[in-house]
Amino acid sequence: MRFRQTRGPLEPIVVLWMAIGWVGFALLPWYGIEDGFFGFSWLFDGYPVDSKFAPALVLALKGEKLWLAPLGFLLAAPLLLWGRNKSDPVFGRLLVIGGAAGFGWLLFQGFAIGLHGWQFSWLTSLFGDLGDRQFGMGYGALLVSGAFLFLLTLGIAARGAVGGDVFVVSSIGFVVAVVSIFIFMPILMMLANAMQTDDGGYSLVVFLAKLLSSRLWSLDCLAGGNRCGVAWNSLLLAVLVGLLTMFLGLVFALVVTRTGFRYGKLLRALTVLPIITPAFVIGLAIILLFGLSGAVTQSVAGVFGIQPTRWVYGLPGLLIAQVLAFTPIAFLVLIGVVEGVSPSMEEASQTLRASRWQTFWTVSLPLMRPGLANAFLLGFIESMADFGNPLVLSGNYDVLSTEIFFAIVGAQNDAALAAILALVLLGFTLGAFYAQRFWIGRRSYTTVTGKGDAGVHPRLPNGLTRALYVIAGLWTAFTVLVYAVIFYGSFVRLWGVDQSLTLQHYKKAFAVSWNEFGIHWSGSAWSSFWTTMEIALISAPLTAGIGLLTAYLLVRQNFRGKNAFEFATMLSFAIPGTVIGVSYIIAFNVPPIELTGTGIILVLSFIFRNMPVGVRAGVASMSQIDRSLDESSLTLGANSWQTFRRVILPLLRSAMLAALVYSFVRAMTAISAVIFLVSARYDLSTSYIVGRVENNEYGIAIAYSTVLIVVMLVVIGLMQLVVGSRNIGRRGIQKGDGGWSVRTNVSLPGTASGPTTIVGAG
Amino acid sequence: MIKRAILGAGILAAGMWGASSLASAESLTMYCGVDEVWCQQTARAFEEKTGITVDMTRKSAGEIYAQLRAEAANPKGDIWWGGTGDPHLQAAEEGLTEEYKSPLLDQLQPWAIKQAETSGHRTVGIYSGALGFGYNKDLLAKNNLPEPKCWADLTKPEYKGHIQVANPNSSGTAYNMLATIVQLFGEDKGFEYLKALHKNVNQYTKSGSAPIKAAGLGETTIGIVFIHDAVSQVVAGFPIVPVTPCEGTGYEIGSESIIKGARNMEAAKKFYDWALEADVQSTAQDAGSFQVPSNKAAKTSDKAPDLAAIKLIDYDFKKYGSSEERKRLLKKWDEEVASLPQ
Amino acid sequence: MAEIRGNAASVTFENVTKTYPGASTPAVDDISLAIEAGKLVTLLGPSGCGKTTTLRMIAGLEMPSSGRILIGGNDVTRLPATDRDVSMVFQSYALFPHMTVMENVSYGLRFSGHDKKEAASRARAGLELVGLTDFGARLPSELSGGQQQRVAVARALVLEPLVLLFDEPLSNLDAKLRRHVREEIREIQTKLGLTVVYVTHDQEEALAVSDRIIVMNKAVVAQDGTPRELYDAPANAFVADFIGEANILDCEVVAVQGDEATVRLGTLALKLPARGHQAGPAKLAVRPSRIEIGPAGAPQTIAGTLAKVTYTGSHLELVVATALGDVFVLSRNVDAPFQGGDAVGIGFPERGPVLIKA
Repeated sequence: MRFRQTRGPLEPIVVLWMAIGWVGFALLPWYGIEDGFFGFSWLFDGYPVDSKFAPALVLALKGEKLWLAPLGFLLAAPLLLWGRNKSDPVFGRLLVIGGAAGFGWLLFQGFAIGLHGWQFSWLTSLFGDLGDRQFGMGYGALLVSGAFLFLLTLGIAARGAVGGDVFVVSSIGFVVAVVSIFIFMPILMMLANAMQTDDGGYSLVVFLAKLLSSRLWSLDCLAGGNRCGVAWNSLLLAVLVGLLTMFLGLVFALVVTRTGFRYGKLLRALTVLPIITPAFVIGLAIILLFGLSGAVTQSVAGVFGIQPTRWVYGLPGLLIAQVLAFTPIAFLVLIGVVEGVSPSMEEASQTLRASRWQTFWTVSLPLMRPGLANAFLLGFIESMADFGNPLVLSGNYDVLSTEIFFAIVGAQNDAALAAILALVLLGFTLGAFYAQRFWIGRRSYTTVTGKGDAGVHPRLPNGLTRALYVIAGLWTAFTVLVYAVIFYGSFVRLWGVDQSLTLQHYKKAFAVSWNEFGIHWSGSAWSSFWTTMEIALISAPLTAGIGLLTAYLLVRQNFRGKNAFEFATMLSFAIPGTVIGVSYIIAFNVPPIELTGTGIILVLSFIFRNMPVGVRAGVASMSQIDRSLDESSLTLGANSWQTFRRVILPLLRSAMLAALVYSFVRAMTAISAVIFLVSARYDLSTSYIVGRVENNEYGIAIAYSTVLIVVMLVVIGLMQLVVGSRNIGRRGIQKGDGGWSVRTNVSLPGTASGPTTIVGAG
Repeated sequence: MIKRAILGAGILAAGMWGASSLASAESLTMYCGVDEVWCQQTARAFEEKTGITVDMTRKSAGEIYAQLRAEAANPKGDIWWGGTGDPHLQAAEEGLTEEYKSPLLDQLQPWAIKQAETSGHRTVGIYSGALGFGYNKDLLAKNNLPEPKCWADLTKPEYKGHIQVANPNSSGTAYNMLATIVQLFGEDKGFEYLKALHKNVNQYTKSGSAPIKAAGLGETTIGIVFIHDAVSQVVAGFPIVPVTPCEGTGYEIGSESIIKGARNMEAAKKFYDWALEADVQSTAQDAGSFQVPSNKAAKTSDKAPDLAAIKLIDYDFKKYGSSEERKRLLKKWDEEVASLPQ
Repeated sequence: MAEIRGNAASVTFENVTKTYPGASTPAVDDISLAIEAGKLVTLLGPSGCGKTTTLRMIAGLEMPSSGRILIGGNDVTRLPATDRDVSMVFQSYALFPHMTVMENVSYGLRFSGHDKKEAASRARAGLELVGLTDFGARLPSELSGGQQQRVAVARALVLEPLVLLFDEPLSNLDAKLRRHVREEIREIQTKLGLTVVYVTHDQEEALAVSDRIIVMNKAVVAQDGTPRELYDAPANAFVADFIGEANILDCEVVAVQGDEATVRLGTLALKLPARGHQAGPAKLAVRPSRIEIGPAGAPQTIAGTLAKVTYTGSHLELVVATALGDVFVLSRNVDAPFQGGDAVGIGFPERGPVLIKA
């Protein structure tokens, strides 16, 4: 019998959240602890009486920070529900009011009272000088805010939202809260910062002057002038990179899937390489090959007797490096799409007397349109956000991402300018995002139907095949050359000067010795290496988790504001890393949320930067899992959490792996966001490598990158082993007998194992 | 299974972080403004000497100054060691650094003491380096170019496309050059010079020492940098020849400051004094840094440029280090020089 | 070994309306139903009529916009699916592809407070009930369609639900298997005395398995009755046409005396049960098999011409063009020498035509 009536005078889940809230309020230190989130020295250091470590309750009893006291009363409010059950209308209303008031007050006091007392002048004029101040929030505040949030969602669920499902409403509440705090708030604070003048005031005029300055928007170069505005430079580069990567990605996808090419696996493996390579390493290799003294430049100059030039610095070099780095992403997007075009459409076209060429042009290619748009968008955004390659290759061709960096760290020290440049960058990427949606339009491109699709993709016309082979062959040779240079470079003593082979770079970076305490990691790279591994391994599962949870909410649940919700979770996809970095230091350097200089801020930046990939992968696979699977689980008595955990997650292995691998790789290779966020204790590999590059120590930089690449390959392999261990019915069979068979169109680094077909109970 | 894995990772991480923070009983957070090797060497040496754990971040002087400003309300760092003197002075001017008179002050060179006095004892000189340039002798020979000896040589048309210098908007080194030229030739003539130089420049780099590194790799013939950076390239084995300009030149005073509101004030002061000691400063050359140390008793490398032999201008750090003058000159440079066709 | 028992309870709908968010018209409009315990009741209707929504509201997968739902006398209107003692067999069977047959069947038992041993023993009993004792270790993808169907049934049955729901359970099976499986379902239902609500759009299936059929059309109940009532006395043109085939003919009620109405159909006058009709224009539903066909000019017939004659083996399908319009007739007399163009007369025996609402 499954009629579950709650016993006891108070719902157990209310009691749980109240208890958590009270632990936060009365037991744990309210404010952040200096030695970090996981430092526990406070336990022996004057706790609980010392104001630095005291819980809010103790502070209130001591008569300090009295603005925290109302939180205690609000945390006790659910006791009024004694004896009432869930369906009582008072139950929901009280929880909603109490939770919202508590959460709201917590935020308000946090933002209103900062390091210098009142944060807003109108508060000072209203209440006079406060004469007190507060630091960033700590454990206590974290638990209390969680308690208020979930009491609020409990109330909303009790009032019947989303079928009264507590798990779903709480998840929505949770995702909305974290996305607001870690995506919207930083962006908004950056916007406010952009309006700020040097003396701390706000001025629209100054803002507009900077926004519309000729450094950004000048079109001199068209009129034969010196150079164009930075914004145009970035835009031109990004458009070119988007188009070229899309084109090359399509070429590769066609070669692998439509030409009977036998070494597809090898090609796929090769394309994974650039994804797991720290971006600027490719830039570096380009210099070693094509720079003024580069191997290729010199030999060409020698053979043809031409004066070698610095042609590679600027647009050409950037274009080569970025196309090399981002083509694999386009390839991975397009291969799924190319395979996803239903063969029967192409067969139909051929029976309607279209030739192979005509079929390709009029049916296959148009059906790939969404994939092409997606590939372009990814290339565009990646190029816009790329920081490493412009750092070494841009010459006098300034682009936004490096300008943002140097606006903050350079001699100008103009954070407002950085914020404005970041806004321009954000404008471009969001614009591209919308243009893409608009272009795909409302037409349906779904070619995978519920019916098993038994056809075979037709071969491409011979001429096209030959052209594809030539392009793919050349490009592959080029990639191999670049990687050979990278690999070889790590063993060369001093590139260009002393070509003798040596292991000294590896020794210098990764030396290990024994001393009386055990292993001594004496190499200079170890510290940043371990930090990077730690941060990457923590953030990857969190990213995958929150991404898949969000995907579940988007695909499986209906609630008001779902569109806005989807937009919000996808927004960070269009935000370049540089912008995230800038906005995070602006937002999280001061109370109430003080995170700069911690490892947590790195983890958070990775989570929210990579989350959209988890969401997309999850949405793609989840929409292919028949909804009746979760419904049947529900009717069998599992609640929605158990359903998510036991039915949906196990079926989402491929999406989970994609999200895990992607976020891990990103955390290991990203530079644009973290360059602003690294600190003494938490330095990351990429920022360390950039430092070496700046210092001309190419050998160490390249050796370190080589090690990273190998480590990533190993970890990805391990993840595949751990996550993908159980068989899910018939895999890879395209012909379900009357059941539904569909494919995942999102394949990502490491999961390039081809389309996954989940045959449900067919 | 997944849940357990996440949990495991979390516990592991918590353990590691917990352990590392428990271990560090006394610590010092150091923002380091010189190059990585020297930073590492210094941090480790201080750890060995005192047992205080040093958390070191290496950043350019500009970055550190920006960070100090950003963290002013809630400082995270304790000591700012190294990097060109201007941002140290700016920080002193804005009260971002702590006033402290080291007992070792009287052992220092006069320019180091002057730096301290200018700032109201909020910073002090630890090393000094003169501005100049360096060239790649192989490339120079290959292009049949004469050896440049003076600032004036660099504007000759035959060097067109052979010179690299950093952008003063992003680099302290380049701003130092801008200020040097203005002080050397006067503002009007100085800007005429910069305009002429602009025609020969193949790239304005972002970072100050990048031009000489590019020259080392053969990506440009001549780079305008601090001479000690050129010396480092020579020592590293690149075919570079450092040049001290015949007209005389400006210089920087690498400095150190204690960050106001430092959480480990005692350790910061201990470090501050320690870094001024003669035998500590003598070890700089081991890290491939060839600046002139500020302690009179400190040993210098024979490869290091002898400041006494260089014609130094009387660099007005107070004037050219101030925010207004800096903004004005940069704006003028942007409008009158950078916008010209090359 | 544990034994699977039936736990039948009644289902009651009181003025239930369901409007999906964003939809202008309700999917289910003010429906009231009472389904007795231990009966197999079919919800029948064309796609989009609201039958699946009704079923899902019983399951708790959809919440009504207004009205009350009671199961076994308890108000479950706001109770989510998880907390209702109702099991459902899905059209696609919805077997979890990553679990074995045994794991699938014991899935629900884990959430019902059974310990491992008891759950396993119940699951085995369930598999035995559907004749799949030896298939526990297989994955669903290794079973045939019919076997998967039975696993889905076993999975629902082992929970001993108050109500068992079937959503078009036969639509993925081939024609021969369908008859077999539906007989099995009926057998288990009678054996365990279950309350079963069964959704289908196949009228033949509905007639064959049901104790009672609820015909739905455009979000409302069109008719509710036993298979025979529905077939022999459809309430309106929709039901008449949807259940089997029917000729809908215009007629006029001339007079009503008690339960008997005198109806004029073309040239004929017929005495028929009034079924609440008053004098005035009306419609008649006539099953093709209940029309007699004879030579032209016979008494009590309407004259017509044979427009089309089709021989189907067991009977003849005839289309007769008359003054009333084309009339479709089934004749068992396959040896009759009918030919297109022949003049014939059609007659209506007693219990043939039924008066329906216009």
